[in-house]
Amino acid sequence: MKSKQATFILAMGLACTLVAWGKPLAVIGLFVVSGMAVGSLYALGGVGLVVLYRTTGVLNFASGAMGAAGVMLAWQLGQWGWYEPMTWVAGLALATGLSLFYGRLIAPHLAARDTVVKAVATLGFALIVLGATSFVWDDDVRSFTLPSDQMAIRLLGLRVTVTRLIVFLTTVALVIGIWVYLEHTRMGLQMRALANDRHISSLIGVRILKVETIAWGMAGFIAGFTGLMFGDLVRLEPNIITFVVIPSIAAAICGRLDSLGMVLIGGLFIGVLESLLTLSPWLKSVRTVAPFVVAIAMLVLLQSGNRLLFGRDE
Amino acid sequence: MKPRVTFGTAMLLMAAAAIMAFLPMILGGQWIKILTSAVCFSIAAAGAGFMYARLGMVSLAQVGLMGVGGWVVLRLNHGFDWPFEINLAIAAAVTTVFGWVLALPALRMRGLYLALITLMAASGLEIVFSTFRFPNGGEGFWGVLPSVAAPFRRPLLAQSDADYLRYVIGMLVLGFAVIEWHRQSAPGRAWAMIRRSEAAAMSSGVSVVYYKAWAFGLSGLLAGTAGGLLAGALGLLDPATFRASESIMLFALAVVGGARFWLGAVLAGVLYRVLPGLFNNWGWDADLTLVFFGAALLHALMTAPDGIAGQIHGLLRGRGGQKS
Amino acid sequence: MRRQIQSGIAALAFLALPGMAMAAGEAKVSCGTANGKAATGKPIKVGGIHGNAAPGDFSSSTDAAAAYFACVNASGGIHGRPVQYMVENDQWNPELAGQAASKLVQDEKVIALVGNGSFVEMSVNAPFYAKQNVMAMASACAVSECFESSNIVSTNQGPLASSIGAAMYAVETQKAKHVSCIGLAIPSVGNWSCGAVEKYMASKGLKGSSVLLNPGAPDVNAGLLEAVASGADAILVNLPAGLAIAFLRAAQEQDLRDKYQWTSSTPLYDESVPKALGKYWDGKMFINAELTPLDGKGADNQHWRSVMNAYAKAKSPRDTFSQSGYLSAKYFTQTLRAMDPAKLDDRAAVTAAIKKIAGYRSDLTCGPYYVGDSKQHMPNHAGTMVVVKDGAFKVVRSCYEYEGPYFQPLMVTEKSLKLR
Repeated sequence: MKSKQATFILAMGLACTLVAWGKPLAVIGLFVVSGMAVGSLYALGGVGLVVLYRTTGVLNFASGAMGAAGVMLAWQLGQWGWYEPMTWVAGLALATGLSLFYGRLIAPHLAARDTVVKAVATLGFALIVLGATSFVWDDDVRSFTLPSDQMAIRLLGLRVTVTRLIVFLTTVALVIGIWVYLEHTRMGLQMRALANDRHISSLIGVRILKVETIAWGMAGFIAGFTGLMFGDLVRLEPNIITFVVIPSIAAAICGRLDSLGMVLIGGLFIGVLESLLTLSPWLKSVRTVAPFVVAIAMLVLLQSGNRLLFGRDE
Repeated sequence: MKPRVTFGTAMLLMAAAAIMAFLPMILGGQWIKILTSAVCFSIAAAGAGFMYARLGMVSLAQVGLMGVGGWVVLRLNHGFDWPFEINLAIAAAVTTVFGWVLALPALRMRGLYLALITLMAASGLEIVFSTFRFPNGGEGFWGVLPSVAAPFRRPLLAQSDADYLRYVIGMLVLGFAVIEWHRQSAPGRAWAMIRRSEAAAMSSGVSVVYYKAWAFGLSGLLAGTAGGLLAGALGLLDPATFRASESIMLFALAVVGGARFWLGAVLAGVLYRVLPGLFNNWGWDADLTLVFFGAALLHALMTAPDGIAGQIHGLLRGRGGQKS
Repeated sequence: MRRQIQSGIAALAFLALPGMAMAAGEAKVSCGTANGKAATGKPIKVGGIHGNAAPGDFSSSTDAAAAYFACVNASGGIHGRPVQYMVENDQWNPELAGQAASKLVQDEKVIALVGNGSFVEMSVNAPFYAKQNVMAMASACAVSECFESSNIVSTNQGPLASSIGAAMYAVETQKAKHVSCIGLAIPSVGNWSCGAVEKYMASKGLKGSSVLLNPGAPDVNAGLLEAVASGADAILVNLPAGLAIAFLRAAQEQDLRDKYQWTSSTPLYDESVPKALGKYWDGKMFINAELTPLDGKGADNQHWRSVMNAYAKAKSPRDTFSQSGYLSAKYFTQTLRAMDPAKLDDRAAVTAAIKKIAGYRSDLTCGPYYVGDSKQHMPNHAGTMVVVKDGAFKVVRSCYEYEGPYFQPLMVTEKSLKLR
């Protein structure tokens, strides 16, 4: 696996170098930093997805929708004059609540089905949440700001707001923190066991309900935080925020749905490549395809040399 | 082995014949268009549905592949002088190959990866379509010029909207027949074995990758055909029809309708195209259709894995003890 | 005490005569012969298509047209007959747009379409309208097919004219030498309108370039950097409001406000925009308005507001599309009233009458409205520039006509119709 990771990193580095060849360094610097800013958004989304996948075995397509609902609520409460940090708490609480609702009430019914079905079910939940959010808040021009937007630093000529730094640092913190949690704590071990096989885990004494609640709650909190960040840094539109889950899945695929570090690296590379493609006159009109092409390439790389992996025997 | 004509098949053929004969005569212009569109999407839903039901393979790019088929039909129509059927056949073939190229990497991995790769492909296709649009008579490879609308040549048998609806229904029945033929011969048996246990299939000498690829190819063929027929319905295509979210919705509705049954595919097309129109007429917000479909999908996955069609079949079977 | 009794009786009298009060109220807003009689007789069938679903709501144009037609019906109708206005929602779905057109034109046999407002409807239905010989007097258009097909004519300007208006302001007032036009990567929208801006700049001996964004892309930063890297000194934002706000937020993040001259085409002219932009852009963002400013004092503008207040729902937006919907309905009514009453159900006669329109004027638009029998229709090609100031808009340049190579054929048509 390590060699495949190395291959991936090398290939991405090569692609980025090729695209940026011959352009002035100052311009490249601008686009690289801008790309890393976008890439860390993808990575944040991807990390949230992989965390839930590793702790419950469910790939949650609805994480974007939950985050969107949370940030819309935060915006609305801000409009009604609430104290700003309270609006963030409310938004995070809503996302966590939605996640817990799904995790405790709906996911157990599907626990015995295979991974694909569990993922497709979250699609259904995503549609419900997105439909409800769009219904409550009709299409209008809105803007969500955070106090950290005002402060910024300069990096390679580009002005990077503290909000973007927060995204990047949070993603790194999550990668490290979750790794420690899953590998070195008892609860983390129980979560991994649960994700692997729910029935057997309950037989050996893992408290299913407690572990699942913590896992879904954690994932919901991360989804809410991601939603707030997307609402500030991308656009405050529920439709857009919900479907940014797709490039996040691309970043998650780069981590093989397993290694959070690779999700971060993959997400950053995807962002940088997508940004650098602006410099290429032929490819700049389709540069937003970059996350998906990278994900597909990663999948091809992953399965090369594999023997067939069997699906579960029914 | 001679294909058996079951009660269900006989019902299908009779219903189709009756509908083809009478329905277009009593409907107005708008409903003919709605049903034509619904039938096209039923063909695509049949492709996605049978793959999910027989093999557990999830394709979240079915509408995107329809776009590929539609693109080819439009480009050939505006670029050359060939009849509609030839354009359609080429489009179906191109889409099949395109689907293979996409899916082969994921066929050796867990089912989740096929779903993910098709989702990535659907998103990529959405961007390509929205950037390069669909051919409308302009020159060059992409064939697009603003404000041009070159005429589209429909099949000779089906020039009017009503005749085109009959044509499309005929293609739907043909699609069901192809799937049924597959089910009752070697590929179908291989699929059933793979569904039971891939390990057992491999040890019996059945090449899992080969038959999975065959299934995906058939699904792509149906999608390409559906896209070509959709292009013929309007004479042009718009990228908004082929967003990634639409592929997701179509798959969801294929499951809700009942992936295992031909009736399920028909229901999927009806839900996909007729229901939003009805909601619109009743003045319900378009966003509520999303909630409805999401809830229906969850319900189908949790409590009714065979979908609405499965429940109908269960009712009928309970009454008469007939096997379908 | 007596005064209280008097006022009490007056109040009772007022309450007891609701009919008279209502009739008096309706007679105040009149859309025709002010005899206060409602129209009777065989309804005249008119259709309208709007787009209302994510990502945008274009329904205010048909809302306004519906309000106007309700007013017309209450004021005696057209030749005594009421207008039956049937509205369909295409939900931004091209198939639904085709089906809606089929329903209205083939099934309901409408004599014309009025107030259409959609992003997808025109490109799908333009050939259909031509084949069915029906005219669509649209109001909220954003694609080239709306302005470059034989059977659609709109009261609004669309992105091309509005962008050229903004570019003119950048060149003439802001003294820009190189304008970078930020548009949508859709051939019939962004490429079309920003391409025309480039041609206009070239005709002035200056430079123009385009940056085209994908509508669904989460990242607008790269587009901003592209504009920066192009060496422009003025940036023309030609995007739908949501995307434009995101783009300007990115520019704000980079603190680029004072490094460039900023203009925008008309989508940013909306009441919710100054608040969404914030104080940063105060006095720096110049926006082109395609119709008269919403708080204008002209007769038609006031009439529009009173018609909306009397006949439309309170939550229906009073925005530019609402103004243009009202105007399309008004011109349509005017045309039909000038026709022979016996021919009102004959679609071909109505189409011919609409095509003959030459020189309707209103204080809502800067120039005369005309149709003509041609493959191109853009009667509204003069506008106003406003600046974002103190949470609202301030006019900086009123009614000026747009120049540029795109408008030459239109000038020729107008000369032949004796409009200039």
